[in-house]
Amino acid sequence: MTTVETRRSVDPRPRIEGSVLVGARCTACGHAHSIRFRRCTKCGGSELEEARYGPEGTVWATTTLHVASGGREAPYTLAYVDLDDGPRLLAHVEDGPALALRVAERVRLAGLTGHGDPQVEVTR
Amino acid sequence: MNAWIYGVGTTKFGRQTERLPAELGWEAVEEALADAQVDADQIDAAYVGTVFGTLGMAQRALAGVGLSGIPVVTVENACASGTTALHEAAHAIAAGRYEHVLALGVEHLTSRYAGPIDSDPTDIDQSTGLLFPGLYAMSASRYLHDHDATVEDLADVAVKNTRHGSLNPRAQRQIARTREEVLASPMIAEPLTLYQCTGLSDAAAAAVLGPRRRSSRDVGIRGIEIGSGRPWDQDSTGTWGSGLVRDVTERAYATAGIEPGDADVLEVHDAFTIGEIATLEAMRITGDGGAPADLAAGRFTIGGDTPVNPSGGLIARGHPLGATGLAQTAELVWQLRGDAGPRQTEGARIAVLETMGGGVGGLDGNACVVAVLEAG
Repeated sequence: MTTVETRRSVDPRPRIEGSVLVGARCTACGHAHSIRFRRCTKCGGSELEEARYGPEGTVWATTTLHVASGGREAPYTLAYVDLDDGPRLLAHVEDGPALALRVAERVRLAGLTGHGDPQVEVTR
Repeated sequence: MNAWIYGVGTTKFGRQTERLPAELGWEAVEEALADAQVDADQIDAAYVGTVFGTLGMAQRALAGVGLSGIPVVTVENACASGTTALHEAAHAIAAGRYEHVLALGVEHLTSRYAGPIDSDPTDIDQSTGLLFPGLYAMSASRYLHDHDATVEDLADVAVKNTRHGSLNPRAQRQIARTREEVLASPMIAEPLTLYQCTGLSDAAAAAVLGPRRRSSRDVGIRGIEIGSGRPWDQDSTGTWGSGLVRDVTERAYATAGIEPGDADVLEVHDAFTIGEIATLEAMRITGDGGAPADLAAGRFTIGGDTPVNPSGGLIARGHPLGATGLAQTAELVWQLRGDAGPRQTEGARIAVLETMGGGVGGLDGNACVVAVLEAG
């Protein structure tokens, strides 16, 4: 039997190696990017070089979802994390639902979740 | 030359699993044509907004009411798809391209989804597990951190809008909810509970546009502007989407030659409670951080100084994505004609509508449309 595959996609998520995000930086304006675009979204510069960010960062915003997406198990906690001198990254928060994470807390990149999502841990 | 809205029509809003998407379109278009006193064969072109519409949904929705053979353009601009159709229709009239144009929004979500709209596996943020309620909940967390506001303030948006929805016989949610009920409803994305989130809705809404004619029932489009989001990243200090809403709104005010204080009544994008608060501040209807206090004082309630979402908004009237912008349009046309019954804003002359759509990770919104409407 042949099945039509409708949801195959190259993984668009940022590249995490251990506690480091492998992203890019614009050689013209220095803007930090979580993925390597063709041009800088800030200044339009065409030369982006590979750059490594993390592991430390600050929570810009956060929520705990009680509905799940893409086969994950609810609840799970997400945060937009501004990595120090780096890009804003959407990450899962390890043991998040029990932590009552707050905006402006410090976190640290901690590899990937079992689902392959970027993950941070809280450094209280 | 400005475009004028001759007539509007909508279906009811809500789960309509027993009806085909095309049937919804037929009903809205027929009402809009009759309201406009324009025959189907006078329509020169149609712009149709739909987000998850299937191939040919627009043509199916038009052919069944005698609209075939004309140019049909289908647009997808996330939740702003319907208002994008309105924008294109208005500019086609203003440019003298056509004499009569139909703008239609149609969406049938229950034939696609059982729960929240699923994530796009090709998007950087959605593939990481972010759903729409989560995106707005993120904004809520930031707003509560930056301002002297509480979860009760957020809930009060749903209290107001469900009260408004209880006065709207076409609304999806017609039961007024108390603050306690809103906060006790199931948690979806902290701090947003179920009654602070719009539900799945099927509906269609339409408007017939043309140049100015001799009719005091027609509503003028004094200004209508569109934009897409710039990057939203570590340099962004505002909650997601607020920069885009602010930029498009300022252009619409300038085109129409009004100030925010001139708006007598508004329909804005409240897919989630925090959305209405952040949007009213971005539109300068109130000051930065000022929405909760104005809301508590009753300023945005029907009968207040500046009613917001008298239809019930996306939370209570419903949010059939591609149809939403034209549903907002219909409510404001009724308001400006004095036909809004128990929801009427007395003496309304200037109305402002805002629709905002998102879903692209790293951008401050996919699209935003803001229109300034004026009584004829």
